[in-house]
Amino acid sequence: MINIMIDTCPGFDQWRDAARRCILNDIPPDQILWKTPDQAQDSLFTAADELPPDTPDEFSVSKDFIDLAETVMCHSDNARFDILYRLLWRIRHDNKNLLKIKTDSDVMAATKMVKAVRRDAYKITAFLRFREIELDGREHYIAWYEPDHYILQRAIGFFKTRFRNMNWSILTPYLSAHWNGQSVYFDSTPDKSLLPEQDDFEDYWLTYYASIFNPARPKKKAMLTQMPKKYWKNMPETRLIPDLLKTAEARTKEMIKKSGGGV
Amino acid sequence: MQDKIKTKLEILADAAKYDASCASGTAGKRSAKKGEQGIGSLTGGTGICHSFTPDGRCVSLLKILMTNYCIYDCHYCINRASSNVRRARFTVQEVVDLTLNFYKRNYIEGLFLSSGIIKSPDYTMESMVRIAKSLREDHHFKGYIHLKTIPNASPELQEEAGLYADRLSINVEMPTEKGLNTYAPEKKLNEITGAMGKLDHKITEHKQSKSYSGKRPPRFAPGGQSTQMIVGADDTDDKIILGSSVSLYDTYKLRRVYYSAFSPIPDASIILPLKPAPLVREHRLYQADWLLRFYNFNLDEILQGTIDNMLDLDFDPKMAWALRNRHEFPVNLNTADKHMILRVPGIGVQTANKIISIRRYRTLRWEDLAKMRLPLDKLKPFICVLDYRPPPHLLDSNHLSQLMRPSQQLELFGAAT
Repeated sequence: MINIMIDTCPGFDQWRDAARRCILNDIPPDQILWKTPDQAQDSLFTAADELPPDTPDEFSVSKDFIDLAETVMCHSDNARFDILYRLLWRIRHDNKNLLKIKTDSDVMAATKMVKAVRRDAYKITAFLRFREIELDGREHYIAWYEPDHYILQRAIGFFKTRFRNMNWSILTPYLSAHWNGQSVYFDSTPDKSLLPEQDDFEDYWLTYYASIFNPARPKKKAMLTQMPKKYWKNMPETRLIPDLLKTAEARTKEMIKKSGGGV
Repeated sequence: MQDKIKTKLEILADAAKYDASCASGTAGKRSAKKGEQGIGSLTGGTGICHSFTPDGRCVSLLKILMTNYCIYDCHYCINRASSNVRRARFTVQEVVDLTLNFYKRNYIEGLFLSSGIIKSPDYTMESMVRIAKSLREDHHFKGYIHLKTIPNASPELQEEAGLYADRLSINVEMPTEKGLNTYAPEKKLNEITGAMGKLDHKITEHKQSKSYSGKRPPRFAPGGQSTQMIVGADDTDDKIILGSSVSLYDTYKLRRVYYSAFSPIPDASIILPLKPAPLVREHRLYQADWLLRFYNFNLDEILQGTIDNMLDLDFDPKMAWALRNRHEFPVNLNTADKHMILRVPGIGVQTANKIISIRRYRTLRWEDLAKMRLPLDKLKPFICVLDYRPPPHLLDSNHLSQLMRPSQQLELFGAAT
């Protein structure tokens, strides 16, 4: 049994190097325990072993697998290292078309992680909210966002493109990103206290949100499917939801009464 | 900004909320390149939903009316001249500021601007175009702009609108001309369709001229045009409604037809029904519209055997078709062509593609279907795979409709009584 420590996050390059050595040294998946620093307190934890020796041999895998691995690697579940290595092993030894068998258990596990990561990387582009501050005499926009997975680097391109000529900072619990109009600077010690308490336009946004809700057709479930409660705490408008739902029926009745009143 | 903006926003967002076509459509990719001024981007896909309101709808755009003052008197409209609603009007600058500031905070994908008609159609349209022009030219705004154009405004203004907007739309309002004449006496069907025809012509012309003229012509509404009709305000049946859609899709190459179930509005006109049209009907129309466009169904197939040419409210139109055409089933998922796989209730376009991809490498079994998390109870009577065939009497059973009747689904629509 070999213990491999991945101490970067999400850890793609480290995993790739380790996986390459293990494959070339013919170490089967069930002989590897993948570890991360947060398991250090774990009683089962044993010190990391040295990586198997590097060899000059090479092998190639399909681009599909690399794409898959890069995405799966952003998932917060540490099982990601093991699942990917097992897939790699099986692609080499059992079936080079393994990834095409969408109903294979390992492929399904990885696919599920891909979906979760993609969804998470999409949700940040949707649900992140900037607040404006003044910094060195310029507008600067700051957001605090709590993703489920390690997706900030993956999603950063969207913000760079869309808000190219703005200065902004995106803070998440594991990483922050700062953009000055030219380049992005990542910082692994984010400081949430940079987020201002309020923003001048938030009140208008709340007014807008409340005004476009149609009380005649509340569909709480449909809303929750798309915008589960875990996202709510960093979205200012969601604090209006309980009240909008509570008063919806009365408002509709009032409307029907009024419209019928003239007949 | 002062609080009068808040009041205006309240009135003019509220007034726009009855418009169903809120989503931002696809209009290609666009962004400020390195060294270029401007803000915003189009990501190439459909617009991002930045929030969801408790009615389950996606908030993607700042959807407002420029003004809800109106000289027209359309009965279904909350802003008709004879209604007692509070009125307000945004200035060009106010709309531009709100759009940019909302955009910078990542609240929205862009602007959806509609308006009541003040003074004249041209006067109104001209102000709307100025808003779009200021966003594009003064602020280099690269986000999404949808303008609801005024059908009888001058062709020059329609054309200018197309230069700045990603999508243009004109509401047909009612599925029939008779309906339009009754409910929107100032609007004329031939003006609406005439404007649609002209837009279609411009959009097509723009697309074609790319290849042979040396210089690329300016963008013209790359997201195409869409329209909306109100359902359930009069007694038009679903066959006529869907027939209108088919003809609109064919004739003017519309990207989308939106159906808006009539919903009671404050201070309504007395010729309107007091009860809302069932939301489930709107939902069934969207499903049928989807079958027409993406599943190779035709209108007759969808409505054949229905009562009074109305879609069955209890079953989605595909299930309803399957129940009426049991002789076409069971479909063997290992050998059937895509056309037929797509007709199986519970199998969508993505699943069909997945099935076709997997079966190249292995023969499908029941277990595979379970792993794909397909709705097995729904599929059971209609398919066979290597190790499964439906019991011989299941398809012929009189109880099949009972079995297939959705139990959960109605809850989704339950609140709308």
